[in-house]
Parts: sequence; C-alpha cells; structure tokens
Amino acid sequence: MDRLLRNKAAIVVFMAPAFILFTLVLFIPICQSVYYSFCDYKAITQPVFIGLDNYKAMLSDKTLGFAIKNSLFFLVFSCVSQLIVGLLYAGLLTNINKGRNLFKNIIYLPCVLSSAALGLLWMFIFSPKLGINQIIEKFGGEGPLWLMDTTGTIILPMWVIAFVSLWQYVGQSMMLYMAQISGISKSLMEASYIDGCTKPMTFRYITLPLIRPMVATAMSLNAIGSLKFFDLIFNMTEGGPNHRTEVLATHLYQQGFKYFKYGYASAIGVLLLVMCLLVTLFINKVVKTEQYEM
Amino acid sequence: MDNTITAGGPANGSGSSSSKVIEEKKKKLTPVQIIIYIFLIAVAVIYLAPLFWVFNVSFKTNREIFTAPFALPKDFTFENYTFAWTAGKLGISTLNSFIVCVITLILSMFIGSMAAFGIGRMRWKLSKLCMTYFLTGMMIPVHCVLIPLFTRFAKVGLSNNLLGLILPYLTFALPITIFIMTGFFESMPNELIECACMEGANIFDIFFRICLPLGKTGLFVTGLMTFVGNWNELLLAMVFISDDTKKTLPVSLSKFVGPYNTNYSQMFAAIIIAIIPTIIVYCAFSNQIVDGLTAGAVKG
Repeated sequence: MDRLLRNKAAIVVFMAPAFILFTLVLFIPICQSVYYSFCDYKAITQPVFIGLDNYKAMLSDKTLGFAIKNSLFFLVFSCVSQLIVGLLYAGLLTNINKGRNLFKNIIYLPCVLSSAALGLLWMFIFSPKLGINQIIEKFGGEGPLWLMDTTGTIILPMWVIAFVSLWQYVGQSMMLYMAQISGISKSLMEASYIDGCTKPMTFRYITLPLIRPMVATAMSLNAIGSLKFFDLIFNMTEGGPNHRTEVLATHLYQQGFKYFKYGYASAIGVLLLVMCLLVTLFINKVVKTEQYEM
Repeated sequence: MDNTITAGGPANGSGSSSSKVIEEKKKKLTPVQIIIYIFLIAVAVIYLAPLFWVFNVSFKTNREIFTAPFALPKDFTFENYTFAWTAGKLGISTLNSFIVCVITLILSMFIGSMAAFGIGRMRWKLSKLCMTYFLTGMMIPVHCVLIPLFTRFAKVGLSNNLLGLILPYLTFALPITIFIMTGFFESMPNELIECACMEGANIFDIFFRICLPLGKTGLFVTGLMTFVGNWNELLLAMVFISDDTKKTLPVSLSKFVGPYNTNYSQMFAAIIIAIIPTIIVYCAFSNQIVDGLTAGAVKG
C-alpha cells in the first residue's frame, strides 16, 4: 500500500491541474502586478519601468487619502462591531432552545445573498424619497440625505454603509462563534454553575477565553473582507459624493478601468495586498495567544 | 499547519446540543429568556423587513410607490418582472450566471478533491508546503490579480468570453475546496484503503470508487459554497465581460438598476429576480451551507 501511496506519477496527476491553475491564474499575476506597480502602464502603451513613481504619486492623490481613511474605518468598525454583535447573537442563541435554528438562519440569510443586489436594495431604502425617509415623513419629520451628506470626519454615508455591511455579514461571525461555543464541553459549564457562577459570569470566564482562537479567525476574516469591500459601496454610492466614500477597492477599479492607469492601479493593489497580510499577521499575533484544552 | 475543522464534520449537524442538559432542568421560560426572545424577534424583523419591503413594492406600479408606500399592492402586476426579465436582459444573464456557476462548480469539485486527495492521502515530502501554497490563496484579494489577468485574457481572446470568468472563479474556489476536502480525506480510516489495496485496486480506483463517494457530504458543502459565491460575484464579471449577451446576473442588475433609471418598481422586480434563486437554494440547504461556511472559515 505504501508503494501505491508514494507513486510519484499518480501524485503528479492528482496535483497538476490545481497546481497549474493556481500558478497561472494567481501566482504569476500577482508577481506581474507587483512588477506593473513599478511601471508606467496605460492601457495602450507597453509597461515602462519607472521605479517608485507610482508610489510617489500616491502621496499626492487626495482621493486615495479618502480611500485609505475609509478602508481603515471599515476595518476597525467591522472588526469591533462584528465581534460585539456576533458574540451577542451567539451568546443569546445558545441560551434558547426553541427556534434557535430559525433565528440563526434568518440572521445568516443576507450573507448568501448577492451583495450587489443588497447594495441596490439599501440604496433605495436610504434614497432621498423612498424607504426610511418615507417612514420619517409619515411622522412629520424630514429625513437626512443619507447617502449624500458630506459633513463630519467620518461622513454619514460611510456610517450607513458600515451598518449595512454589519447587517449583511455579521451572520458569518455569529456562526463561527456558535460553532465554537457548542464545542465547549458541558461539564465545564456545569462545573462553573456548581461553583456559583451566574450565566453572564460563565460567559465571561469560561466561554470567552475558550473561544479566543476563534475570535482571531473571525476577526482576520472580517478584516480581509472589509479591505476587499467593493460590491456594496459600488452599488450604494459608487464612491460618491465627490469620492468621499471611495475605498481602496473602488479606487483601484476607478483608476484601472475608468482611467486605464494600469500601473497606478496595480500599485493600489499591492498596497491592498500588503495591508491584508499585515492585518492578518497582526490579529493572529495579538488575539491568538493561548490555546486551552477543551 | 494544524488545521482543525470545528464544525466541519457532516455528522455534528449544526452543533446545538451544548447546554441542553442544563436547560432541560428548567423547562419554563424565565423572564430573561422572554427578553431574549423579544430581542431576537426584533432582530429578525430588521433582517427580513427590507426584503419584504422590496418584494411588496415590486408588484406595485411606479406611482403607487409614492402615494401608498407601505400598503399592499392594489392589483398584483407581473409586468415589472416581465420587463426586467426581457428588456433588462436579466433572463439571458441568469442563464449566463447559471452556465458559469455550474461549470465552475463541477470543475472545482473535481480538481479540488483530486488535489485534496493528493495532499491528504498520498505520501510525499512537499505535501504540507503545497497545502500552504494553496491556502495563501484564501488571503489574497482578487483585486490584486485583476489587471494582469485582464491584459493577459485580452491577448488570448478570453475577455468577453464566459471561459475567462470560469478560470478565475475556479481558481479562487480551489483553496476552500482543497482545505475542506483534505480534512475529509485525512479523517477516513486507513483500513479502507488497505483493504482496497489488497483487492488489487490501483490508486485511481481508490480515489474514484472509494474516497470520492465517501466524501460526498464534503463535496456537497463545498459545491454549494462555490455556487453561492460565484453567483454573487460582481467585480471580475464587470471587468471581464462587456458584451450585453454575456453578462452575468449581478452585472446586468447593477447596469439595469441605477440612479438614472426612474422606474422604481421595475428595478425592485429586478432585485427580486436576482436574489430569489439564492433564497430558494438557501432555504433548501441552509444547514449544509451554514456548516460548510463555518468549516471553511475555521482554518488553523
């Protein structure tokens, strides 16, 4: 049997398709992307090496400033809010018996729906004359211009989009936490009750430390997801008003496929990639500290 | 790399029996639980209300949206749907989405589980390294490869071609497929393979006739996830396809619905058309999807 499982030819046959695809469609393009980011490359011209000029151009790009600020805002907001709300949902759902699956499935539902469609949906709900403003009007008030207001450091549309993304994606975090919580052995819980813990105390002293590795996983998923964030913003505001809701992904799309600055867009892509890697490393270092026996 | 699949196993369902023993002792609802239920119902309303609103509005005429925004539609009209389906080109793009997703689904299950078998079952030195290579794919945002892929595909005639979508979709579906399937193959008992070996099966028999059928649940889960993910993908489809007859659903939807279109009820109908298939799939397989997504996310 050993001979069979060490058969080199068979291994090659099994691995080759995936490996070739991966290398051709992922690995080589990434290397190319890094190369392009050092090039002056417009759609029609050939790439010409110009060193760090694209990265220097970034410094004076005002829209990129908005994009980075918004991306970081998303990053922090989604990590924190999904942690809190996800844990809250998971904690509540593990405490009820009837209808747990129903509520779980309802909360998870938006995660599987097309965020393009949901973005449009929320665009209408927050549009000046429809949805929420119709409700506010009914009570005699006048709703704000949800997606067009530009006052404040973090402008109102960003908050709206951030809450919509929380609405859409919190199910994922909740599922992860629930999976981990239901993996905790019952005897631990019972022991804590016998020792006189109340439910919130058990949650604080037993559940929280035990799901810490999962917190790291969920957070890094959130972080990468929020940096990749594109569909919702593209369909809700298209980066407007006046580029104030631009994030890195939408800015990359604009530069690359509206203005055809491939070189510059690649530089943004590299920035995005580096940010993803750094954030994942950081979260895994800080949050994932000890592993407990469960 | 110590990968653990916490909720991955097909056997442990949606994992819900944790504190049952404790709670069975007090069958009655405590006040705290009533508060929890009230809160959860409020949350459920927040989650479902927007969907119901769109569904309701999509049957109305454009004028009704403004005169009677929250009432039920006076007379149900399917005109909005037929218009979105034909003039909005959602019909053809639903078909395109379907073609792309099904082909990607089949190929990714096949190629992915082959690689997973190679990593999880075959014995060779670099298998761990290979796994890491595939898993880094999970961290890489698709935006980074957009431009090189676009220029390359334009050169070899793959832009404006559904195959040009299938290839990247397939590649980005592979890491998760390989990851989940490797878990499945590794957990299979050794005796099975030994047995088959004694009977004189070759390695391909073992893969196709023993391991693949046994990993059916895993395949099902990964397949569903691949399908849902690709069905919703917008960015790649938007960049690679500019021909109206080849657009996928999210792209056509985004083009059809926009701030410059003024017939709201048609746009709402279009949104419903776009999300109904996933809602149906989700209702039918919600437990499997939920398990699969959790399993996939729980990487070491």
